[in-house]
Amino acid sequence: MSILLNRETRVLVQGITGSVGRVQAKWMLDYGTNIVAGVTPGKEGEVVEGVPVYNTVADSVAQQGVTASVIMVPPFAIKKAILEAIEAGLELIVVITEHVPVHDIMELRAIAKERGTRIIGSNSPGIITPGEAKMGIMPGIVFSPGRIGIISRSGTLSYEASANLSNVGLGQSTMVGIGGEPVIFSSMTEMLELFENDPGTDLVLLLGEVGGSQEEKAAEFIAQKMTKPVVACIVGYNAPDGKRMGHAGALVHGSMGTQQGKVAALRQAGVPVATHLLEVVDLVQKCL
Amino acid sequence: MWLYEFEGSDLFRREGIPVPDYALATSPQDARQKAEEMGLPVVVKAQVLTGGRGLAGGVQVAESLDQVETVTKRILDLKIKNLPVRQVMIARKVEVVRELYVGVTVDGYNGTPVVILSTAGGVSIEEMARDHPEQVISRLIPILQGLSLDEAEQLVREAGLDGEDGAQVAGIVCALYDLFRKHDAMVAEINPLVRTTDGTYLALDAKVEIDDESLFRHPEFKEASENNVLTPLEQKARQIGVTYVELDGEIAIIASGAGLGMATMDIVGQKLRPANFMETGGGITADLLYNTMDLVLQKEGVKAIFINLYGGVNRMHEGAKGVVRYMKEHEVNVPVVAKAVGNYQKETWEIFEGGGVTVIKEVATEKGIELLARLLEEKK
Repeated sequence: MSILLNRETRVLVQGITGSVGRVQAKWMLDYGTNIVAGVTPGKEGEVVEGVPVYNTVADSVAQQGVTASVIMVPPFAIKKAILEAIEAGLELIVVITEHVPVHDIMELRAIAKERGTRIIGSNSPGIITPGEAKMGIMPGIVFSPGRIGIISRSGTLSYEASANLSNVGLGQSTMVGIGGEPVIFSSMTEMLELFENDPGTDLVLLLGEVGGSQEEKAAEFIAQKMTKPVVACIVGYNAPDGKRMGHAGALVHGSMGTQQGKVAALRQAGVPVATHLLEVVDLVQKCL
Repeated sequence: MWLYEFEGSDLFRREGIPVPDYALATSPQDARQKAEEMGLPVVVKAQVLTGGRGLAGGVQVAESLDQVETVTKRILDLKIKNLPVRQVMIARKVEVVRELYVGVTVDGYNGTPVVILSTAGGVSIEEMARDHPEQVISRLIPILQGLSLDEAEQLVREAGLDGEDGAQVAGIVCALYDLFRKHDAMVAEINPLVRTTDGTYLALDAKVEIDDESLFRHPEFKEASENNVLTPLEQKARQIGVTYVELDGEIAIIASGAGLGMATMDIVGQKLRPANFMETGGGITADLLYNTMDLVLQKEGVKAIFINLYGGVNRMHEGAKGVVRYMKEHEVNVPVVAKAVGNYQKETWEIFEGGGVTVIKEVATEKGIELLARLLEEKK
């Protein structure tokens, strides 16, 4: 079992004819992902890695029964691409694209909530259900099938944590990269709830970083609703005040959004928090 | 991107938010002339992109033209949180009878704009929320509907403002919300918004941050002067196209992602001291890593470099070629340790090893930092 994605999910790649889209489509296919269509406006009739390309998302749904889309279009085209995917009635949209303006995200997020569409990202590495499928840009080799659910605000952080866990035989049910932006479409808490209800997940690992209040809200949810064990690691202990640490959302502002504040909130909720990445492995082993 | 107070005030004036008369000056003589045209008394305010300028002596009242000159000279000589003051704003001094706070910002968790209003203006909103939470009113605004004048009037009524005062402040709240939306702001804040003795409301400060990612549709801000808050190395990093934050230590970090970069910084910080945070994002090329090598080595006192890469979207082997080329062309006298995991990892290791980089073939960053610490010990 897994959340959001499995080997049957009928996946569309929006932006499949771009330089990133082409390479990543190949790697996703190699991993076993059931990619059934690509969309690039004006490129209908092309075939990329054996996958037919359509002009619109609606066409890909009509022709190939697409239910989920992974979006890798440039930032200037992102608003239209997401709107199109929402309007075509997809169940799941994963936005890999980085540098999407915050006001655009706020508008699209409101529309998606009205329509009941689940969107992950933006600036997400994607979703992977190890051994089955991946919708995203993560290197498949660091993941392995298993029963630990991972929610991460950062791609690279999830890669290293997963690789460390895989090395000692602790596989993952699904890893979801929720994105590094100040406003994201789906929260850490929403993902916790999915893992709580997933019979294939025994424990959830939260990988957080400075900025915003995702971890604090997650801590409230864990204290009130989670029955499964949760382990966390929050990076940015040394992040200086007022500097964006690579992600637009990774910003300490005075006493707001600090690593120390997040760690305290999670510990208060009974969550063991690792002080460095490798310690995650020990904590997971203790909690299982 | 933060705007200077005068840039924010220009924006306020354009969008219908009343501000006192003001002018910019870059020298004491210039300030004297502007004050003479405006009429005394005036307030001389340092233009710097940081808070706390009042405490640092960056805001002074001047009653005479001579005083304008001396005060301006003093302020232009200041460094406020390490930032030089290059210009001052000369603003007409107004008689204040009450101070409010009005702000619009992004509520990150709820993913929607939030309007915040407080009858305790003048101090920072964080202090207000902590010390007088009962005086802070905030309202999430559904972005697709926006904020109507009626709703704004209701909001200011909750803050105890009605009649003519309520109408004026509600109008300003709406104008600020519209400005926030129109210009892709992350923050638009008036602190304080004051009522003067003649009953009009004026914005006495303007704090506006524009979303960096939206600058492609706001060419008017592209040339703005915000680079002032970045150190020279941070500015250089921006030109190269990477994120670099200068820190106090000796171990330079090059990482291929933000989370990994912060994790590396934290691990280094447990025993050694990071010289910087640096992450490339997903666009690694040979030239990019060549340039980042040059960048991190420009910081004085760097004793070692740790390169931490994942090959997901990044082409690590291309990046490795850039590092090796840099080391061939320059004398790099500090240990360079690299960890590279993911697509093309074998190719990447070979290129690094062929060019004098010590490769750690493990996953855990902790192991890499241990190795680097050992190399530093041996070097002593």
